[in-house]
Formats: sequence, C-alpha cells, structure tokens
Amino acid sequence: MLTPRHLYETVLRMRLLEEGVGAAVQTGEIHGEMHLGIGQEMISAVMGPHLEPRDALVSTHRPHLHALAKGVDPVQMLAELLERDGLNRGKGGHMHLFDPGASFMCTGIVGSGAPIAAGYALHRKLRAEGGLTVAVVGEGAMNQGAVFETMNLAAVLSLPMVFLCENNEYGISVPREISTAGNLVERGAGFGIVGWECDGVDPAALDEVFSAAFSETRQRSRPTLIVAHVYRFRGHYEGDTDHYRPAQEKETAFRERDPLSAARHDLVGAGWSADQIAALDREIASEVAGWFDAARSLPFPDPSDARLGTFVDG
Amino acid sequence: MAESTNALDRRTGSHLVAAVLMDEMRRDDAIVTFGEDVGALGGVFGATRRLQREFGGARVFDTPISETAFVGMAIGAAQAGLRPITEIMFVDFIGVCFDQVLNQMAKNHYMSGGRVSVPLVLRTAVGSIGSAAQHSQVLAATFAHVPGLKVLFPATPGDLQGLLVAAIRSDDPVVFLEHKWLLKSRLADLPFNDVGSPEGPVEPAEIGKVRRIRDGSDVSIIASGWMVQQAVLAARELESAGISAGVVDIRSLVPLDREGLAAEARKAPRALIVDEDFADFGTTGEVMASIAERVPGEVRMARHALVVSQPASKVLEEEVVPSARSIVRQARRLLQA
Repeated sequence: MLTPRHLYETVLRMRLLEEGVGAAVQTGEIHGEMHLGIGQEMISAVMGPHLEPRDALVSTHRPHLHALAKGVDPVQMLAELLERDGLNRGKGGHMHLFDPGASFMCTGIVGSGAPIAAGYALHRKLRAEGGLTVAVVGEGAMNQGAVFETMNLAAVLSLPMVFLCENNEYGISVPREISTAGNLVERGAGFGIVGWECDGVDPAALDEVFSAAFSETRQRSRPTLIVAHVYRFRGHYEGDTDHYRPAQEKETAFRERDPLSAARHDLVGAGWSADQIAALDREIASEVAGWFDAARSLPFPDPSDARLGTFVDG
Repeated sequence: MAESTNALDRRTGSHLVAAVLMDEMRRDDAIVTFGEDVGALGGVFGATRRLQREFGGARVFDTPISETAFVGMAIGAAQAGLRPITEIMFVDFIGVCFDQVLNQMAKNHYMSGGRVSVPLVLRTAVGSIGSAAQHSQVLAATFAHVPGLKVLFPATPGDLQGLLVAAIRSDDPVVFLEHKWLLKSRLADLPFNDVGSPEGPVEPAEIGKVRRIRDGSDVSIIASGWMVQQAVLAARELESAGISAGVVDIRSLVPLDREGLAAEARKAPRALIVDEDFADFGTTGEVMASIAERVPGEVRMARHALVVSQPASKVLEEEVVPSARSIVRQARRLLQA
C-alpha cells in the first residue's frame, strides 16, 4: 500500500498526464481518437505496487493509466500519443501501445485483450515464472463473447490471470443498466472464478482486493476477477458531446467520485497542510511538464518508415 | 522426383504433418500446440497424432470450442516468447474468431513498430470434400487480403513438409492451409507426389517462390493447393489430346512471387489461372494482374474458380468446384479463344 503522499503523487501524475493529452487533442497536435481515464486513476494507482516486472498486463482502448502502473516509460508513451517516433514508432498510437520490456500491451477492440492476456498467462504458467497476467476490461467488454470464452479457458487451464473489470458505468453512451444483465462479479462464479468487487475510488478497499486476488492467482495459479466501480469523468472520447449523461449525475460524480480529491483527502488526513500540498502539486506538475517537453523534443517518424514493418523480414 | 511405388505404403499427408510437428517440437521446446481435438484424438484428420503422448498435456492440449479465446491465447503466448502452433479444425470456423486474426495476429507486429513479433502458425483444413458451404471453403484470399499474415497453401506432400517447417521457424504469423484431400489421400495415390518412401530429412522450403511442376508449351495452368493436383491430371489428359500444358504451383499467396508468376506464365502463350477459392476479388484476379503488369499483352489469360458457394450434393458440387475435368474444358476453351 502506498503512503498517502505516494498515492497522491501517483494519482496526480496520472491526472496531469491525461489532462495534458486532452489539451493536445484540443490544439490538434493529436489528430486521432483519444480516450482518457480521468476518474479511473485510483485503480491503476493502487494496482501499481502489486504488479511485478514478471507480470504482464493487457489493457484496453483507455490504456494510459495501466501503462504507467505497469512501468511503461511515460516519455516514450507520450511521444507515441503525440504522433512522434515514440514507443511504437508512430504506428500504434494511443490505443495500440506495446512495450515488451514492461510486458504491457493494449488493444482498441473491446474485449479482445482478454484472450491475448490468456496467452501471456500460458507463457508464465509453462515457463514457471510465477508471474501473473492482468486482463483489463471495461463493463462493456463484459458483454463480449471473447471475455466469457477466456474466463472459461483460463479456468479449465488454470491460468494465472486476473480479470480486472473497470466499471465506469457507460459503454460510450449506453448505461450499464440497459446493456448488462445481472451482477458483474457474479459472472466469474459461473466459471468457478472467485471474484471481488469494490469502490474503485477507495484506496484501502482497492488495496485489499488487489492483495486478495493477486495472492490467490499467484499462489494457486488460477484466474480471479476484480470489479472496481468508478465513474468516467470525460466523454467516451475527447470531442464527445456527452449530452447523453444527466448533468446532475455528472456533477454529483465529479464531487463525490473524484480519485484526486480522495487522495488529497487522505493526504490532509495524514497531516499535510494546504501549503505543503500546493508545493507538492508544483513539484509533480513540473515533473509531468518535463515528460511532455521530453516527448515533444523527439522527432516525428520518417514517412518512409510507414511502408516498412508488416513482417519481421520487411 | 521420388515416386512411392510401395502398395503397402499407407502414409497420407496427415502423417507427414504429424511427423513434421513431432520433429520440430523435439527441436524447439518453445513450441506448443493446442486446438480442438488435437490432444487425445490427435486431430480430426490425424495431423497431430501421437504428439500429446510424446510431449505431454502441457505442450499439446485440447481447448474448449472457443476459437476466439484460444487463437488469442496463441497470439499472446507468441508475443510472450512461446512458439504456438494452433489449429482451426475447418477454415470455415475462422469467422467466429476473425477479430483475433484480423486485428491482433496480423497487426500487432506492425502496430508495435516492430517491438513485438507473433511467431504463430495457424494450421487449418480447407477445401471441398462434400460437406457444403460451411465446411468446404478455402478462404485463402480472405487471409491474403489482410496485411500482416503470411499465407501458405501447399499442393504437394513435399511442400506439406517443407513449407510447414518454414512456417514454424518463421518469426511472422503464418496461416497454413492444409487441403483435406492432401491430408487424407495416400501419398501413392496422388497425381503428383514428391515424397519418397521412407521420406528423407525435411528441409524448410523457401517461402514466396512459385514452382513449376510440369513443363508445357501451349498453355500454363497456374494453381494452388489441391487444384495443382487436379491440374496435373488435366495436363496428362490434354497431353493425350496433343496439347502441351504446363503446371505452375503458386504455393505462397503471401508473399506472392509476382515476378516468378510472370516469368513462368510467359513460357506459354496462354495461361489458365485455377482456384478452388471464390473467384471475385480473389487469387485468380491477383495472379492475372501480376502477370499483366509485368508482361503486358504477352499472355492470353482466363480464370477458372468458384462462382457460387459449395453445394452439398455431389452432382452439384462437381458442377461448380474446379476439377481435372473442368480444367481440361476451360483450357480447351482458352486455346480456342
């Protein structure tokens, strides 16, 4: 469990990174679709210390926070987001980040990461590395056959993988209530997969759940399921009119479900003064601004490189 | 070419596939193989026979009927450092997991800027054996239309071995199309058999090179997979009628040996492009374009491929699926044109 200070720093870094990326969409520096994880930072911030280098993580179309939690270099990632010669040479972009060094990848197809995560888990199981693999899905992906198939496969093969469902309540515009039957965490039980659910803004609750699930998966080489409930603060993508969510609902959530406020609350509880927090804010803002500066100092990809790399041999 | 003349030789193509898998799995312990009924049964065509007994259930295992899950698992395992060989029992089943093929298997190397490779072989049985439109397709061009997949389609027993070894040792994702008749037929019964008895050591074949199977000066028959075997029969019949027909085996749809196709095509004034896959937007048009772009006006060409889905009744199937008989007919028509 992170100290209140480290937790706050981590959440703030994530928030500032996402806000900076959002700003780059506004200016046109990023011309592609962009999905930000603002409102969902606490899950990744708390998960980070539970992840080991031998673990793998397969993320979604909303991947930046998981990438930071898994140890992907923020400058390399930002350079990729900013369409430069970054983590994946400008070919993947924000939804298709691959960092084999950090055993991290993501996919832009909802639910499709789960089967691939099973492959990383199979590798860990056969090579007896003791590592686990996290398959991140949203509550929308919980209605994809790929996820059900993978739950069954992971259970029958006893794969060391954790299904992490971030329920942010909306699949683009469609609320969970009208797309999703039953209870999310109970879906694991049908496959004999033990599951936990918790408030995804509550660091203590998240820490308890990650400890329990990761320990179960590591020690018994079997899949587990975590469902963490959050609220998506932004539209589905940057530029979304977001007229489909009631203003009152959003205002309430922004006030009551903000991970940054929760982390700040814990910091205050640990005795930090407003001035001390302001100083820390400046320090972290400077650090994240440095990431952006470093990423922007990297060159754009060589246009001729676009034609290369379909195959290993060219 | 080594001909098998031993009447007691019961080997089929599936025995050759199983032997290659056995040898390669002995050579490289990163290779795992999984899919539907590949374990205890040894594959519905016998192409994974005895592998589970030899290597155990950790390296050779059955999966649920969940193609999306296990093809995706193969992709992830390949990216993580294993070298999976997975099987889609009939190529027709690829529809249920095509996202994994289209968006992950094919794209991850390119999208990662080369940081991730997907050394995965997806073996799958193709072609008409009398089972109608959901169990008879070839779909070679469907795969070939997706950038990032190598697509191999062996026509001969020797290529069933050599191209499979090459596929397994490739660091790229390969779709390996095994024609059901090639898997099921006794080698000795094939119109064209290039594997002796006993077979010698198997060398990897070079991927992306056409191969001339038979010389001919009047017309070239350019084909892939089982259609090559049918073209050999057709060429023999044409020869008895005084027509010299050559046969060229495409072997690899991706990469496609466009220069080789043009070079072989110009050895006769006419070329018939034959395909068991669906004609429209398919291999025949791609081959014709490759030739026309390189030797414009030199070769008069026609195509002969499937124009409807495969029907069940043999009477109907024989009407629309190309065969030696229909190839002869089409070649004669082209020669009269």
